[in-house]
Amino acid sequence: MSAEKTKKTVPYTVPIGPVHPALKEPVMFTFGMEGEIVRTVDFAPGQTHRGIEWMGMRRNPVQIVHLTDRVCGICGIVHSISFARAVEQIVGIEVPERADYIRTILHELERIQSHLLWAGVAAHELGFDSLFYLAWRVREESMDLIENLTGNRVNYGIIQVGGVRRDISDEQRPLIEKGLAYYEGLLDQMATLFLEDSTIRMRCRDHGFLSEDDARKLCTVGPSARASGLNMDVRQDYPYCAYGDLDVKAILPPAETGGPRGDVYDRIIVRLLEIGQSVGIIRQCLDAMPAGEILWEPKMAKLLAACKKADGEAIGRVEAPRGECMHYVRMAGKEAPESWKIKASTYSNLMSWIPMLQGEQLADIPIIVASIDPCLSCTDRVTVVRDGKPDILTKEDLTRLSREKTRRLMQ
Amino acid sequence: MARLPMVPELLKQLFSRPATNAFPSRHLPPSVTGFLAKVASGEATIHPPVPTPPKFRGKIVYDREACIGCTLCLKVCPAHAIEFIPETKRIRIYITQCIFCSQCNDICPKDALHMSPDFLLATENRYAESQIVE
Amino acid sequence: MTPDIPFIIIGAVLVALFGIVIGLFLMGFDRIVAARMQARIGPPITQPFTDIRKLFAKENVVPENAIPWMFNLAPVLALASAIVILLYLPIGGFTPILSEGGDLILVMYLLTVPALALVAGGFASGSPYATVGAQREMVTMIAYEFPLAIVIIAIAWKLAAAGIALPFTLASIQANPIWGLVGPLGTIGLLILLVVLLIVTPAELSRIPFDTPEAETELAGGILVEYSGKNLALFSLTQGVKTVAMASLVVALFFPYSLAAFIGLAGISGAVIDILFFIALITLVAFVSVSVVRVSMARFRINQVVSVYWVYLAIAGLTGLLLVMADQIIGVI
Ligand code: SF4
Ligand code: SF4
Repeated sequence: MSAEKTKKTVPYTVPIGPVHPALKEPVMFTFGMEGEIVRTVDFAPGQTHRGIEWMGMRRNPVQIVHLTDRVCGICGIVHSISFARAVEQIVGIEVPERADYIRTILHELERIQSHLLWAGVAAHELGFDSLFYLAWRVREESMDLIENLTGNRVNYGIIQVGGVRRDISDEQRPLIEKGLAYYEGLLDQMATLFLEDSTIRMRCRDHGFLSEDDARKLCTVGPSARASGLNMDVRQDYPYCAYGDLDVKAILPPAETGGPRGDVYDRIIVRLLEIGQSVGIIRQCLDAMPAGEILWEPKMAKLLAACKKADGEAIGRVEAPRGECMHYVRMAGKEAPESWKIKASTYSNLMSWIPMLQGEQLADIPIIVASIDPCLSCTDRVTVVRDGKPDILTKEDLTRLSREKTRRLMQ
Repeated sequence: MARLPMVPELLKQLFSRPATNAFPSRHLPPSVTGFLAKVASGEATIHPPVPTPPKFRGKIVYDREACIGCTLCLKVCPAHAIEFIPETKRIRIYITQCIFCSQCNDICPKDALHMSPDFLLATENRYAESQIVE
Repeated sequence: MTPDIPFIIIGAVLVALFGIVIGLFLMGFDRIVAARMQARIGPPITQPFTDIRKLFAKENVVPENAIPWMFNLAPVLALASAIVILLYLPIGGFTPILSEGGDLILVMYLLTVPALALVAGGFASGSPYATVGAQREMVTMIAYEFPLAIVIIAIAWKLAAAGIALPFTLASIQANPIWGLVGPLGTIGLLILLVVLLIVTPAELSRIPFDTPEAETELAGGILVEYSGKNLALFSLTQGVKTVAMASLVVALFFPYSLAAFIGLAGISGAVIDILFFIALITLVAFVSVSVVRVSMARFRINQVVSVYWVYLAIAGLTGLLLVMADQIIGVI
């Protein structure tokens, strides 16, 4: 619904964004309000388009893996694994088993830090800053661990097409064990602080509701979908890396907590439980990790040559902390890929905002918007500008453009 | 009954040491440059930053003697941070552009590139001496 | 005793200075203890003074949609009225400067004036955030007024029942510490009333969990969103003075003790001791009802603010009142 139309049907509108304290990343909301109640919701993403795919299509795969680290500021490894898996399928690379386990360990460490980051943001959106500081403080342990294993806190640069760039040494194992023990000891406390606090319960229980049906229709993914009762998780449904060997089940809000109800509270539960699940997965990995190579081809020049020869297309899918993330790559015998498309998890989750926000109070907008853990900079793959002004593409426009593009790619 | 499980935790924290690492000093000095000058002259001390782990990837170090000018590093640098100087057959690295991926370290046949633990690199000039390695 | 005009003027200036300095001190103290409770270091205690100095050096920006005269008048009005409240409250054992003219009921009404000035400023800013904030501020005001009135009436009633003349004047409350007048049942009642008043304080001061009018995450500062520079500085000072006023009210109603009299000091040193003791008391009150409360819970929705005050606190307040009454009746029998 356009802003002008909204204005006629509701008493007044409140704009939120693109830059606003409620939003950690830019998106433009227009709410049609009646008193404190949200009647209509409209949003415009595309405020932080960086043209990263364009940059990628001018670089070789070894360079692109480092770009993929920077698609998102939090999921550094998700996009890299996703891209690397796509290229590996095209080139026909078999990733050494040890590398798969190391990828899994880092993937889960990243989930721990991402969910803790989210927990902190959620607490802040509720005006509960003490909990925000606490969550971010305990998150440091996983950040330090990641920094120790990869060499950097945020943009890890650990994934390579065909494996990983750094092994986990015997000296690093006790560090990981220490970190896992730290989080195991912390889980109960976090659950108490978040789930038993009356003020949080008052704000989150039965708010930001998304029914199972809506979640399915709107293609919601990740923790947001699981909180609504959809049993889906790429790690369980289409195992990749080492997940096939491990015991991974999608986490739904347990019946003891009255779930799944699909409200904000359930989303908190799912994420907190997933931290525990990740700790368990890393434990399993440490026990089952075989010895061996970590790269399919340690000589970069040879790897590049192999990529250059490859021809074909593939999709890499992973379960990011926010839900399914997908990279489509098409190589056609050149150094750079002919096409590269990123579908970040938040892209699938954006539309769930509308049923969640309708009928809620203005005060709940921040926490509901945050409850899908939006990451706009990964999502914004396009911004429409016509004659120097932002423009809107309708569904018909998009269908037509996609068909045209597919035809172009087929030639 | 209303439950506030955070209260005991908060009171405990009130009497324990803050978790903040007071880098570079406990409170913002009135003048940062003045503070740094004082540190240089020994009048004040800098509270050290959190230590970096062993294989941290900080500012790049270049061994000019070992380099043979093969330009392989240029091929893999994702950020186009490396420039080849044809006259000297050596390379120049722009730190402001570098993304600290160490991909160039991996490919260099002569092991002429390394990452140092140095990470306090901010300056006001992209082309300052500290921002260019050659 | 009719104080002459020069005395009032000098007194008023002194009280204003006291209110502003101690108010800023309380804000700094709050920031430090809140930071410590959150395992942070926090700013130095002088931070609010630095902030105010900096704000005064900055330019006032009046938004295009604003009503300038109202927008600029609101902060002055807010600060002035906050200071006037202090003139009616006993500070550190001294009789209030304007004790003649007013009593508790007046204080209760005066307490709404800074809030009303804020609301006027909010509406005058012409921003949707400030408008929503101003509406919420009014609702909050109506919400906490009721429990506040119950507390004040309970105490005055008790004083009247104990046969004290002019029960609503602060001077008589000051002279007759309330705890001495009640039996065990009344003590429980008074404790409940004290808690009620301590919970009204954060709403009066717009702090978490009752900071819905400012609500940083949704309204980006709400009522104050358009304010900057000197106007914002005036509002910050108001906030400090209001903290002093509310804490002094709690102290005046429930802890009107004098340390100097207790240890038998008189004259200048007695007065100094008393002032210090008073500052310690209001700091304690501010710590409990502002710092601890604001770090330990999430922000309420506006309808939750109303139900907290109108339902839970009103019931608690009435229970306290009934207990005090029952105590009186039992005592008489
Ligand atoms: S570390 Fe990475 S970005 Fe920096 S110069 Fe080397 S290859 Fe380029
Ligand atoms: S790869 Fe190594 S040897 Fe070759 S140009 Fe770069 S630094 Fe010099």
